[in-house]
Amino acid sequence: MWSVGAFNSITITPPSASFVVNKVPINTPTSLRLHYFCRPLRPLRSFSLSNHSSFGPQLSYKRTFSFRCSAALTPELKNTLDKVVTSHKVVLFMKGTRDFPQCGFSNTVVQILKSLNVPFETINILENELLRQGLKEYSSWPTFPQLYVEGEFFGGCDITVEAYKTGELQELLEKAMCS
Amino acid sequence: MGVTKEQVESSLTSKLNPAHLEVIDTSGGCGASFTIEVVSEKFEGKRLLERHRVVNAALEEEMKQIHALSIKKALTPEQWKQQQESEKPEPAA
Repeated sequence: MWSVGAFNSITITPPSASFVVNKVPINTPTSLRLHYFCRPLRPLRSFSLSNHSSFGPQLSYKRTFSFRCSAALTPELKNTLDKVVTSHKVVLFMKGTRDFPQCGFSNTVVQILKSLNVPFETINILENELLRQGLKEYSSWPTFPQLYVEGEFFGGCDITVEAYKTGELQELLEKAMCS
Repeated sequence: MGVTKEQVESSLTSKLNPAHLEVIDTSGGCGASFTIEVVSEKFEGKRLLERHRVVNAALEEEMKQIHALSIKKALTPEQWKQQQESEKPEPAA
């Protein structure tokens, strides 16, 4: 029996959590992964759990639970995001920071924006899991980075690169800076 | 965990009926990173952002496990034809 987390106190009891081999009780080496898509003290909205042991075919046990409901984007978070994306002309939600990007795709977009010499605000989504999940819904976009220009979702890395190549991005940013 | 190249291909094929599809597993085995090129009539009249949204929607289930999806090309059959022709060397007169 496993008890995970001080909050919400989830207890998972796999059928073969412990068993006896040659009269010696053995605790199943259970790999347990819990991904919280919400912060402590909030209702648990989504988690996935994979749990397996490898003790031969009849004892091998593998089960994956996955619960997901689209509720990471609370009305409060939506309000906050509305303000954030309109507070600056260019806002980049990314993994890491502008000086220390923690993902190649995020880095690419930072370098493009730097090269265009436009002021931009970055927000590190790795620091806040709730924000990270909520943003996916807010933008209807499953991955990061996410670029916002004048409060509008512009795109992810591929779209930004493409628009940079065609000159569309420069045009849009120039317009945004003048407005 | 992760998804296979075949799963990605089959979802895209059934939902977008692509004229051309190339899926490359860039994850190094864990199945969480893919690069794709897709040509479909479903992109007709759509901006690039909307086209990417179409692809993301087609892969909604898979995206739960994919961390990086790079859409290198999302073209209409017409654009694809043009692009291929422009890449071909001019035939000698």
